[in-house]
Amino acid sequence: MRLRDVSIRAARSLKQAKARTLLTSLAIGVGAFTITLSLAAGVGGRAYTDQIVSANTDIKELSVAKAKPQEQQGPQKYSDTSSGVATGLFAGQYLNLDDISKIKQIDGVVSVSPNYNPQVRYISGPSGDRYLAALSTFSPSVTLKLAAGSTSGDLADNEIILTEAYVTALGFSDDQSAVGQTVNIVADKLSSPLSNPESRTFNYVVKAISSKSGLAFRAQSTLLLSNNASKTLYDYINQGTRNYGNFTVTAVQAVSADKTNTIKQTLTDMGYFAQTAADILGVINTFINVLQGILLGFGALAVITSVFGIINTQYISVLERVQQIGLMKALGMRRRDVGRLFKLEAAWIGFIGGAVGSGLAVIFGLVVNPIISKALDIGDVRLLIFEPLNIFIVVAGLVLVAVASGILPARKAARLNPIDALRTE
Amino acid sequence: MIEVKNITKTYGKKDNVFRVLNDVNFTIPDGASVAILGKSGSGKSTLMHVMSGLDRPDKGQVVIDGQDILSMNQKDIDKFRSTAMSFIFQSFFVQANESCYDNVSLPLEIANVPTKKRRSKIEAALKAVELIDKKKSRARELSGGQKQRLAVARAIVNQPKILFADEPTGNLDSVTGGVVEDLLFDYNKRNKVTLIVVTHDEDLANRCDIQIRIKDGEIESVKGKK
Ligand SMILES: Nc1ncnc2c1ncn2[C@@H]1O[C@H](COP(=O)(O)OP(=O)(O)OP(=O)(O)O)[C@@H](O)[C@H]1O
Ligand SMILES: [Mg+2]
Repeated sequence: MRLRDVSIRAARSLKQAKARTLLTSLAIGVGAFTITLSLAAGVGGRAYTDQIVSANTDIKELSVAKAKPQEQQGPQKYSDTSSGVATGLFAGQYLNLDDISKIKQIDGVVSVSPNYNPQVRYISGPSGDRYLAALSTFSPSVTLKLAAGSTSGDLADNEIILTEAYVTALGFSDDQSAVGQTVNIVADKLSSPLSNPESRTFNYVVKAISSKSGLAFRAQSTLLLSNNASKTLYDYINQGTRNYGNFTVTAVQAVSADKTNTIKQTLTDMGYFAQTAADILGVINTFINVLQGILLGFGALAVITSVFGIINTQYISVLERVQQIGLMKALGMRRRDVGRLFKLEAAWIGFIGGAVGSGLAVIFGLVVNPIISKALDIGDVRLLIFEPLNIFIVVAGLVLVAVASGILPARKAARLNPIDALRTE
Repeated sequence: MIEVKNITKTYGKKDNVFRVLNDVNFTIPDGASVAILGKSGSGKSTLMHVMSGLDRPDKGQVVIDGQDILSMNQKDIDKFRSTAMSFIFQSFFVQANESCYDNVSLPLEIANVPTKKRRSKIEAALKAVELIDKKKSRARELSGGQKQRLAVARAIVNQPKILFADEPTGNLDSVTGGVVEDLLFDYNKRNKVTLIVVTHDEDLANRCDIQIRIKDGEIESVKGKK
């Protein structure tokens, strides 16, 4: 018997038992739904973290600290030679200027930019109103979403990138007209005596306006200066204080991305704690993978349950159709074809379940994606990404699972003695 | 020609052996109509199953056109059955959920007849049993007599050489039974097809060329018209 004829007959007998077919498929559909969703969430999640990391870090960059921060196990011993930091959660040591210059010597290191994060007094613009501001260092290879202006290469030392929120606050009429204008930042020299405080105004030209993006954490809240400008501010503010030249972390730029691992090794050998962008991504991705694994586990559980459903349904189907099987065998249908008929029925059940389940998952994704994006305030980023190949693999895999579940009932049908079958009235 | 030689068939083991067929021998010429008669439980159906290769006897041969079908392997015997034989049963065994067309199509599909050639064969068979207007109806909607006519159409659609009928009129009243009988004998005469009918019905048996009587698994008599 031809495969085509067998599969038409298989589909027809499923159609005759619609309710049963659908209910059995439903079980496998639940599995398909969960698995498809977990795969989509994995793909979407990893893509999302990829984008986050590339929007906030540079793949050529390493983040270096004095030593791996330790969870605080009781009070830490004080040491005169190295200054330390202690928060409620962890204790660690600062990097000092010695460390910075040592790191600069390492082969493959282009530059070292400690996180200056200068603590300025305020920023003001044409309106004269004063605002608090957090500043950080601009990195040319970090993707920014710009509302106005543009950055080609690095920032000049007298340039600043504002965020959209500051535009109207500082007194500019719109994003575009702010570009090219000057803003003032006022900083205090901390080492100046209280009786005679000293402060200075620094002027910057607005180079660009960064807009709020679901990806760029820094761009949302901090104003960006060039590395040198940050250092100048930092030096002015902190020079002469006890904490001057102490940094919790520093960014280290490598010549190329493939150098980062050897640099990391050197740094580790020297006793520093270094992380590449890939490490940071890896930590986030491990988290996503664990979540995805849990979801996949639920999906697999549903599939395993549905296996018993299929076996049960197909056994009942064989018992119900003893006469039909007997007749077909009497008419010369081969055992192999009888077996195929039942395996194909199982395959159809698997296909319907897989297609319906993953189809519903895709619809679910379409509905839920904008809701999630809105709730998490991540703009137009999609957290569920359905890859056609993944869906194909899920459906094909479930068809195989269904066929495998159908093997035992199919064998029972194939081995049925036609005479016994035809005797049953 | 069908030669049945020394067929013995037993059921059960050791102390409880039950001989259903005991050294059965006879010969049926091509194109003959044959009635197998006997009391209930005498072994008629078993004999028919053995002759068609559905059942394996303990001993003996069934030689059809010079070939012992019992020595064939399962694949060949299935093929032989799908191309050269067909069956009609007392309780019809039509597929209630399928259309008449699909019911008749089944033997052609099993015999690997190409899709294009099926339609004309199916329609010819349905015409022969006067069910062509019910082509698309489901078999469950048919009356008993119509169901058996559908079974006849299914049996003749692939132009078999041998047609087995196990009490084909057993579930029908005499008038509808008569119609089915007429169809079978008509087909037998016109196409020179060997017709083997298992029956209780003496009138039906008398319409056959040969009457084989079985009693307790043994041949009681073989009578021919000539
Ligand atoms: N699988 C089996 N196991 C044991 N005995 C069997 C089996 N199949 C058939 N028999 C016995 O073989 C004998 C012949 O059965 P068979 O069906 O051939 O009778 P029959 O002549 O066709 O009867 P009927 O006219 O009632 O159809 C019966 O006594 C039956 O009980
Ligand atoms: Mg019988």
